[in-house]
Amino acid sequence: MSVLEPTLEPNPLREGLEQERVPDPSALVIFGASGDLTQRKLVPGLYSLAHEGLLPSGQTIIGFSRADHTDDSFRMAMREACDKHARTKPVDDAIWDNFAKGLFYVAGEFDDANAYDRLKAKCEEADRARGTGGRRIYYLAVPPDFFALICEFLGKLGMANDPEGDGPYTRAIIEKPFGHDLQTARELNRVAVSTFRERQVFRIDHYLGKETVQNLLVLRFGNGIFEPFWNRQYVDHVQFTVAESIGVEGRGNYFETSGITRDIIQNHMLQLVSLVAMEPPVEFEANAVRDEKVKVLRALREFSMNDIDSYAVRGQYGEGSALGKTAAAYRQEKNVAPESNVETFAALKVFIDNWRWAGVPFYLRTGKRLPKRVTDISIHFRPAPYALFSRMEGVRTHPNILAIRIQPDEGISLKFDSKVPGPAVRTAPVTMEFRYATSFGAEPPEAYERLLLDTMLGDSTLFARRDEVETAWEWLDPLLKKWEADPASPELYPAGTWGPEGADALLERDDRRWRRP
Amino acid sequence: MNEAEVSVDYASIEKSLAELWRSENQSNEHAITRAALWNVVAHTGTQKDQAYASEVLSAAAAVVPQRTIVIRSDPAEPEEIAAWISANCHLVGGEKQVCSEEITIVAGGEAVHRVSPLVSALLIPDMPVAFWWLGDLPSDESYVDFLLSPADRLIVDSSHFGSVSDLVLLSKVARNTGTAPADLNWVRLEEWRAAAAMMFDPISARAWLQTIRRVRIVGTATTRTFGDMAESILFAAWLSAQVGHTVTADGGVQSASGPIEYALTTEARQRDFGSLCHVEIEFADGKTATIDRDDDRHVLVAALDGKEHTLDCVTRMRSQDVQNLIVRQLKRPEADRVFLRTIAIAAKLAKRLAA
Repeated sequence: MSVLEPTLEPNPLREGLEQERVPDPSALVIFGASGDLTQRKLVPGLYSLAHEGLLPSGQTIIGFSRADHTDDSFRMAMREACDKHARTKPVDDAIWDNFAKGLFYVAGEFDDANAYDRLKAKCEEADRARGTGGRRIYYLAVPPDFFALICEFLGKLGMANDPEGDGPYTRAIIEKPFGHDLQTARELNRVAVSTFRERQVFRIDHYLGKETVQNLLVLRFGNGIFEPFWNRQYVDHVQFTVAESIGVEGRGNYFETSGITRDIIQNHMLQLVSLVAMEPPVEFEANAVRDEKVKVLRALREFSMNDIDSYAVRGQYGEGSALGKTAAAYRQEKNVAPESNVETFAALKVFIDNWRWAGVPFYLRTGKRLPKRVTDISIHFRPAPYALFSRMEGVRTHPNILAIRIQPDEGISLKFDSKVPGPAVRTAPVTMEFRYATSFGAEPPEAYERLLLDTMLGDSTLFARRDEVETAWEWLDPLLKKWEADPASPELYPAGTWGPEGADALLERDDRRWRRP
Repeated sequence: MNEAEVSVDYASIEKSLAELWRSENQSNEHAITRAALWNVVAHTGTQKDQAYASEVLSAAAAVVPQRTIVIRSDPAEPEEIAAWISANCHLVGGEKQVCSEEITIVAGGEAVHRVSPLVSALLIPDMPVAFWWLGDLPSDESYVDFLLSPADRLIVDSSHFGSVSDLVLLSKVARNTGTAPADLNWVRLEEWRAAAAMMFDPISARAWLQTIRRVRIVGTATTRTFGDMAESILFAAWLSAQVGHTVTADGGVQSASGPIEYALTTEARQRDFGSLCHVEIEFADGKTATIDRDDDRHVLVAALDGKEHTLDCVTRMRSQDVQNLIVRQLKRPEADRVFLRTIAIAAKLAKRLAA
């Protein structure tokens, strides 16, 4: 019998189990296995999947990097990583022992042909000994500069095949950044699809693996009551906040070439915008969902370069305090140029020019060294058409707000006015709240766990498609180029505040205010 | 935390609950959030079971917020009906208290017939209703029907069943009512089913399922009561249901390639992790698949003697405390279709296997 196996009917004994979706075993090769991502997220995430019974027996993980490891020393290093970072702690020895049997390591440079030969041999050994059946997943946890090299070797050695029909699959997972601008993004995609087909490429944006982000689709399309109000007739404006309380935390080198706009807005925030603004997909299937998301990105109104300050504000944190401690200015951070003009805060006013959202502003803000870590979306509804109670003395009505908290304390709340008990007509805002922790108790799985499992199952719904990435860059590129060409410094804001004054002015000009998340 | 019970007039329980929440909000240093995803009604017949149900559901409410109604109903007791209320509060994240309420109703004599309408009035609207029946099912089906009329789910523990007739009654409930039966014993089997499934995840192993010849299931028991055998019977029925065996009315099992022999035996061993301790499946070519419980490591170890490779499969044993089993049942939003399929077969198999 060949070690390369076709796909058969699902395992009937899996039906109805909590672990009903278990993929066929594969060899998952992690390029960059000695890196931070592997130790903090990937292997701990895979272990947690094994702990939950969601990995198939025979699942094999092969680390590949320059570091000098044997299989055993790699296992020891990964055990330490799991002890520190696994969601399901303490690490269960029995589960670990079994999981560790599937951990292997190949040491080598990314340009060493012999190392790829050893990798190929290791994968084939897994097919024979562990039943991985020729199925391969390559996780490129490496800087984008190495993508082309790795893809070229995999292609040359016939390790990137994508046979039609039921043959064993080969998939590649790519980490952000998906380019530095439109041109580099296109080049990266060209490199990826010169070796793999688009359907084999899984571009990870870990925000899409978060339960609350996935719940956006359920909230909108699984309930009958929200969608009728989800349009320009009822929505006044929408706010998105992705705030971090920390600074660049030793990532100065990276941040100096990136800035917050590339780091957060180009990927995470535009994913959130497209999920909030998209039309219902015809089915809950990867391409159907992504088709609708791309349509939103295509409908984003181009920035007017003559009037850019009316639509975009950039800022950079100065000295201040964060979470009760003194915080240094961005320019004082390690590996940051003393005259750096890189933005650590950005706020945008965005329009989606389509039938549903014409004229409704979407306000986006993100920054480092803000008062707290929070990701929040709020839908602000128009006031009642006739202000019946506002004519009464002492009565003030408030807009209805549907707030979706992505992290932390995940949940959804709806704010509305209620009559204050008593003989007089007085109103006060109240909220109806749903909190994941209150209703479901259990800690949600890490985003990487879900995304790794989906890759093994071949479900690309929660991954960015090539046209999504390129369309997002196409829209954002002119703004970034304008800012880069502008000699003026970003507006300073003290660390620990909600950003520069210009961000407040962006909304005040429209007679609106940022919601305090 | 289960706060002190307050005796209330059974005719105005909702009003008393409203007063309870008002006073809780005023006196508590933490913000209080009331939450409920389920109405859970526990039916008990003794004071001991009543206390047990209250303790179990109070712990379960910390994970799945619920309005808990504990009934103690005994027609042999003097005629009376009385009610108590209390709040179940749990800190979430060290600051917010999530609370749900517990109502206890005690009825004796003819008053037991007033319990069902009272419970109906106390159910939170739009939330599903789970009815947890403690102990052996009653022989009076009409009483069960009456109590179950608003229930979406009937939770039992077949390890307490006295005879095969209880399994038949459960099967009837599934067939004839809108109430979906659920069995805590079935939840105990989840890891065993997962361990068995894991062996057949490799595609090369899947075809073996069609060549099963003999299945030996060893349970732990000091007696051979029906309840002690129930877990083994359910496992056997599940395997046959999922593989597609035909089970005749007298409990005979046939596959497309011949009869399947089931052997259920018991051995004395501690039962911290349910009843099963060993499963052995023999295939037409003489090879075997085994699942063993490793009590020291709290795992199940499965091994399949394959043609090309042998893989050990390890499945973590989860806590078998009753409150965890209840929580796992309540976390399933819908009826378990595989269980419904299994009990129909289990009722037939039981006649032969438990003999």
